[in-house]
Amino acid sequence: MISPTSIAVPLLFGSVALGASAAILAWRARPNPGAVSLVWLLIGQSWWSTCIVFSLSAETAAEATFWTKVGWIGVMTVPVAWILFALEYTGRDEHITRRNVALLSVVPTLTVLLALTEEYHGLLYVRTVGVTAHGSVLVEQGGVWYSVAAVYTYLLGVLGIAPILGLLSSGATAFRGQSAALIVGVVTPWATNVLYNLGVLPEVGIDPTPIAFAISGVAYLGAIDRFRMFGANPAPAWRAKQFLFDHIHDGAVVVDGHDTIVDVNRAGAAILDVDVDRVLGRSASELLPLSEPFRAEDGAEILTVGTESTSRSYDVNVSELTDRHGETLGYVFTLHDVTQYLQQQQRLKVLNRVLRHNIRTEVNVIQGYAERTTGDTAETIKQRTMRIVEISEKGRDAIDLFEDAVNDREGTSLADLLERSLEAARDAFPEVDFELESPAEDAAVSEGLSVVVDNLIENAAIHNEGEDRRVTVTAEIDDDRARIRVADNGPGIDDYELDVLNSGTETPLRHASGLGLWLVKWGTEVIDGSVSFEPNEPSGTVVTTTVPLR
Amino acid sequence: MASETNELPASTGDFAPWRAAVPASIVDVGYRIRDVLTYSSAYLVFIAMIEVLTVHIVLSLPLNPAPVVVGLVTFAVYAGDRIADADDDAISSPERSAFVTRHRTLLSVLTAITYGLAIALSLTGGPFALAITLLPGGFWILYASDWLPTFGSYFKRLKRVLVVNSTIVASAWAIAVVGLPIAFAEASVTPLATVVFVYFLVDTFVNTEIPNVRDVKADEAVGVSTLPVVFGIRRTRRILYGLDLALIAFVVAALSSGILTTAVAAAILVGLGYALVLAWFVGRNTAPGRLAIAGEAKHLVVFALLLVFTTGV
Repeated sequence: MISPTSIAVPLLFGSVALGASAAILAWRARPNPGAVSLVWLLIGQSWWSTCIVFSLSAETAAEATFWTKVGWIGVMTVPVAWILFALEYTGRDEHITRRNVALLSVVPTLTVLLALTEEYHGLLYVRTVGVTAHGSVLVEQGGVWYSVAAVYTYLLGVLGIAPILGLLSSGATAFRGQSAALIVGVVTPWATNVLYNLGVLPEVGIDPTPIAFAISGVAYLGAIDRFRMFGANPAPAWRAKQFLFDHIHDGAVVVDGHDTIVDVNRAGAAILDVDVDRVLGRSASELLPLSEPFRAEDGAEILTVGTESTSRSYDVNVSELTDRHGETLGYVFTLHDVTQYLQQQQRLKVLNRVLRHNIRTEVNVIQGYAERTTGDTAETIKQRTMRIVEISEKGRDAIDLFEDAVNDREGTSLADLLERSLEAARDAFPEVDFELESPAEDAAVSEGLSVVVDNLIENAAIHNEGEDRRVTVTAEIDDDRARIRVADNGPGIDDYELDVLNSGTETPLRHASGLGLWLVKWGTEVIDGSVSFEPNEPSGTVVTTTVPLR
Repeated sequence: MASETNELPASTGDFAPWRAAVPASIVDVGYRIRDVLTYSSAYLVFIAMIEVLTVHIVLSLPLNPAPVVVGLVTFAVYAGDRIADADDDAISSPERSAFVTRHRTLLSVLTAITYGLAIALSLTGGPFALAITLLPGGFWILYASDWLPTFGSYFKRLKRVLVVNSTIVASAWAIAVVGLPIAFAEASVTPLATVVFVYFLVDTFVNTEIPNVRDVKADEAVGVSTLPVVFGIRRTRRILYGLDLALIAFVVAALSSGILTTAVAAAILVGLGYALVLAWFVGRNTAPGRLAIAGEAKHLVVFALLLVFTTGV
């Protein structure tokens, strides 16, 4: 009974077999993005092919017409399922709402209804035009609504292809393969349909579109099995970009080349105290201090918003967006909250002043009064007040470290730095024998190293109370790093002190005895170095500091 | 058909003396083939096709693609079921689970292609053949998934209901085995076809309950009510006796009313006698997997007897 062209029939059966197989594989891949939509697409195209097979094998004209009409259910399922699949598969599923799906289904539903009731209006007619030599009833379709349905189908086809095209240039082989297979799968039948409707293809007695579904089936099977379509899915990539933009703590404002705000993230809207939906399309100059209002502080571009007591400060960074020709498309303004950083900087400055001037002034006054008296008490007062001065100086050193003031770019001579430290130590501790083994070649290191070396040498000397007190400083250059070893023959650093240092924090009950070792630790961290402690033989400690060269 | 085995059909232990003379490589290949046939449910394909050919002979239908379609569907549904249950089978059938897990991708693609081919082939039989071909897969989808939440959960509840669960499975297969050859031949449903349908329905029901004896604990754990879970093994055995005896009475009645020929009735009655013997072993043997396979193999006995009685082969 089935007749038209010998090749068309096996291809129709093949399209059903491949479509059903791919549908089963896609169904098993649920809930991967796009799996369910692809199942519907494959069911739609398989149903279309099935109805054509039944139409061709029909014994009466009425039967053939019936199957052609019912086939429209599959015909119109395909484009809707395709656009839904494309949106889900590429991570744009935020557009898939009940409302949008209902809207997308209006034309297909009308088309099916018009096909089923075609004898009453003729907007979409289905009529028999003859019988082949093999007895197959030939059916012709047309009408105004036929053109509407065709255009709608092509439109959804193109809209679905658009987001998938972007994956053809993906860096991942799997995504390139998947997208290429999908495009072949959808373009082949649609191109066949366009050519058929334009009358370009030779007449085979039926709409040849379902025959092309055999190629689609192979393509979809290839995408699922060969390119692991539901094993490696690009959907999260698209969502991740939007998620990052929406959820980063920094504010972000996208401005086009005409000073118009085209996007702003939640943090950006909160910082600028605007509504996201209302700010889009407004002039950026109204909201962002693009030129004059920038308040420069130490060279940084700082934006301050809010009133005095509740004001917050933001470090503003402007990045230019360009097209592939290098032409400016717009700018991204990122607003990084630096309020806390600025507040800490302010507090450190106050502390620096207190440690640098106020304490020393008060100590001088105390020492002045102490000099008016004599005896052990006066001497003790002098020694203790000098100790207060030393502690305040260490505190000041610590503040200098935190202010990053010592992390200079140019650097200083390692040999000079060591000489200076040892000279000061020899003055302070004349009873200790200091020895320096300088490197064969000098190198530049961060000035911050002086705080570290000063404290290491002082620590080695001050706790050494034996007869033969020795401190040996050895420096070596190894590739791009300098290694300074400070060895003493004293009693060694207490394990308790090192434990506190390694824990990185202190409590009122568990703390080190002073600031010296903390300055060593902080100092090496600030200049990207490291420090290690080892026992010396027969007694004492070897402290090794490794720092990068400038 | 419709029952599943979770055990090897034969021991994989030490070689028997006669095997010692066979080269180890040949024995190994033999074991591999047996593993593929049992673990992938491929042996059920053969038995299912024999059942359809039995229907062809009994109803005197011309040979058509129905046996092939049923065979393809059987493989797709059972192998697909084993893929879905591979993780759960890890405890009860570790070898089978390991086999399915190792070949999961291949089996998955094979089952999809075999069902796709079955659907395409069924188109040559017309809309009814297509509908019947889709039926077992449709039931399987509703059983094994929550794709259609409302219907899916409803069917999942049915799966737990005593008798209903096995009846649904038996109905789907009986309709496929009896309905497909009729649909392909565009024949009408006669009283003889109805008798054959009832025979396959009850017989498949019995074969579905036999493996449930072994799965009592597992079924209890997941809340599935089967005959052994509700009535215990001894009473289940009696119920199976009762069903087989009722079927014998039904066949005798069909014979006496002239619907069944003597040859067909004799073949079926011998098969049912075989089933009664098997029912005696329910809960009494140590290899329930082999018992289930023996239950399926009954169809081979009936088919062979039919060939002898009707064609003199």
